Amino acid sequence: MSNQTRFQAFLSEAGELSRFAARFFAQCFRPRYEVSEFIRQCYIIGYQSLPLVGLTGFIMGLVLTLQLRPSMVDYGVESQLPAIVGIAIVREIGPVITALIFAGKIGSSIGAELGSMKVTEQIDAMEVSGTNPFKYLVVTRVMAAVCMLPILSVLSDAISLYGAYLGVNVRGATSFHLFWVEVIDSLAFNDVLPAFIKTFFFGFAVGIIGCFKGYNSKKGTEGVGHSANSAVVLSSVVIFILDLLAVQITDLLGFN
Amino acid sequence: MTPSESVMKISHLYKSFGNNHVLIDFNFELYKGENVVVLGKSGSGKSVLIKCIIGLLKPDEGTIDVFDQCINDMDDTELDKIRAKVGFLFQSNALYDSMTVRENLEFPLRRHWIEVSQEEVNNMVMEALEDVGLAHTIDMMPIELSGGMRKRIALARTLILKPDIILYDEPTTGLDSITGSEIISLMIEIKKKYNTSSLIISHDMNCVRRASDRVVVLYDGTCYAAGTYAELQHHTDPKVKQFFEQEFKQ
Amino acid sequence: MAKQTFNNVRLGAFVLAGLTFIIVLLYLIGKNQHLFGSSFVLKVQLDNVQGLKSGNNVRYAGIDVGTVKKINILNDTTMQVEMVIDELVKPVIRKNAIVSIRTDGLVGNKVVEISSSKTPASPVEDGDVLSARKSIDTDEMLRTLSKTNNDLAIITEGLKTTIGKINNSTALWNLLNEEGIPNHLKKSAYNIHQATDKANRMIADLQSIVLGVKNGKGSLGAIVTDTALGQNLNAAVLKIKEVGDQADRLSQQISSAVKGIQKDIDQGPGTVNALLKDSAMANKLNRSLENIQKGTDGFNQNMEALKHNFFFRGYFRKLEKEKKKQAEQNQ
Repeated sequence: MSNQTRFQAFLSEAGELSRFAARFFAQCFRPRYEVSEFIRQCYIIGYQSLPLVGLTGFIMGLVLTLQLRPSMVDYGVESQLPAIVGIAIVREIGPVITALIFAGKIGSSIGAELGSMKVTEQIDAMEVSGTNPFKYLVVTRVMAAVCMLPILSVLSDAISLYGAYLGVNVRGATSFHLFWVEVIDSLAFNDVLPAFIKTFFFGFAVGIIGCFKGYNSKKGTEGVGHSANSAVVLSSVVIFILDLLAVQITDLLGFN
Repeated sequence: MTPSESVMKISHLYKSFGNNHVLIDFNFELYKGENVVVLGKSGSGKSVLIKCIIGLLKPDEGTIDVFDQCINDMDDTELDKIRAKVGFLFQSNALYDSMTVRENLEFPLRRHWIEVSQEEVNNMVMEALEDVGLAHTIDMMPIELSGGMRKRIALARTLILKPDIILYDEPTTGLDSITGSEIISLMIEIKKKYNTSSLIISHDMNCVRRASDRVVVLYDGTCYAAGTYAELQHHTDPKVKQFFEQEFKQ
Repeated sequence: MAKQTFNNVRLGAFVLAGLTFIIVLLYLIGKNQHLFGSSFVLKVQLDNVQGLKSGNNVRYAGIDVGTVKKINILNDTTMQVEMVIDELVKPVIRKNAIVSIRTDGLVGNKVVEISSSKTPASPVEDGDVLSARKSIDTDEMLRTLSKTNNDLAIITEGLKTTIGKINNSTALWNLLNEEGIPNHLKKSAYNIHQATDKANRMIADLQSIVLGVKNGKGSLGAIVTDTALGQNLNAAVLKIKEVGDQADRLSQQISSAVKGIQKDIDQGPGTVNALLKDSAMANKLNRSLENIQKGTDGFNQNMEALKHNFFFRGYFRKLEKEKKKQAEQNQ
């Protein structure tokens, strides 16, 4: 494939994704609302991801603390460890690691599920059964991803902070109360809110890309695998791009 | 069987994908209580035709009338009303993997805004399952069933809304000849029981012979020949003949 | 359906846990910034806010009681800092409290410190403007400290060279050892004494003149009988007298100083004596002299050795011969 056609393919995919997103917004606010399916998806996408997200969050908090400690001791600011770890977790590590894990778990499962539904005509069958499959499958999943990722990310922050607390206590002793007070002291609204808000966009990216890839899956088992794989890859890249944009925007608005 | 009332009329239907002209000036009429088989080679546009009828694909030109209503420019709500009366059996069954047999069968019932109590739903589900002889599978997942059973569950799901027209997309494909025969018998039985009209897409001559009241040969995107099985069997045109010769070879 | 409900319960717990955490987090942060609860505003005007930002803490006696809300520029030399203070400390802060800007630790954030002053005053009210104290900016402090250090280095260097010079200067030692100096000082004191005598006499003369004038002798007298002028003159005379007294005192001081120095030199508790009679120094000097002595001894020995050396024997003999020759010639 020459570079030009590859570039064209990229642009056309970007265009299709944008139209897909536009279709999502158009369908999103029109009845009928698939509430029970939305709740079911919330359960699958949100609740069932919690153990994985919690585990990675806990390990990140613990490891980050242990890795930072020697440098902090070198500079003689060991007592600032909770503050630094708290800011790192809340501002960046929590949202991004959660979103990446989320992309790996949810992006791929949405991509594969919708892909195989497409391939086995289940999507057509739904349409015939008086259901708008876009609403029933895409809107509910994307909305569930948008709503659940922030919650997952907040809980992951909490678990990470607990991991960090244990990390601080591996060498040295800090009471949980002191740790907590120091973390809260070091945080401000402009640490928490931009990080919280950007997770909505991360969730949207993961959901819409997973659905897009699955919904436009090519025929055959290979097509399904490809959808799942490219959904994860693309959504992970998009998460980083959004993160870059988020930091630029908060910087521009002076919230940094 | 005397054809009485027209339930579906297709006139001057054109459909193409890019430069691939699949349907060119296709005309067809389906009468109440008759089984019509559309015969054609793979890729001749049979599935496209059937998807146009159910509104999954929009035709480029021409009109499709179902129950004297043109479905070309219908919105989703109106289309859904037509779809409630038209059953569709998919080639790959299209059972929802994530749901049990019961949920699969309940799905179209609930989705079509039919006001029924839970008890009625249960009764309808049981009735449809009994029609296909698989009442014991009600709490199983589709993945646990064999190919023939899945086809029958899919048929039960089509039947549950008591449709007036059933569209069969290659009902015997992917099944062994014995299971295929069972499915064909079931189709004939259902037709008798509910007096439905059926449009069957197939290239399985066994199915064509047993199930058809009338046969339409789809060739080069158009209605090439039409008639009863017996009439076409002795057709002189080589393009028609090849379908029937094939069967004799078997 | 039972399964569905159970799922809903778990989903509900999950969502509520997440929302509760974020809300608690935001509430605690907000509480830290004194966004909730009743508060009031205090203002202070400063000429330099030293990098204070809105959101910095305000402390009263070391307790966080509020935050900086806003910093306004009133004019080119006056910045007004608006602070939001917890309502609870309102009765404690007095109108005459003094505000200063400090740094939390050496490198920490800026904090506004409100400290009470000793004198009594009524409690503050909403919107009061407190007075400020110019505080020590860490930067400035460090700058000063480094300058002090430099100065100290220069001073030490100077002191070192001075001491070196003193040690090396024979003239100074001579001066200190000189017997004549006290005599000179005595003589100068005597001179001063004579000068004051003369001054006394002059004053006496002046007095008699003034007396004459007072009694109104001649036209000059008529002019100067004017009392104001007379008073002025009196004051002038008094001043002259005072000068004389001072000269007297000065001479006394000088003579006592000289006596002191003499005494110091003789008996030894003072600094000069210490310098002169430091036994450690003397020992050092002794030792170096000994070293020099040793050195010369060594040199002599070397020379002796050279004399006996194979190569130089000839030369030394020649030298001796020449000496003898010379001696003979001289005879």
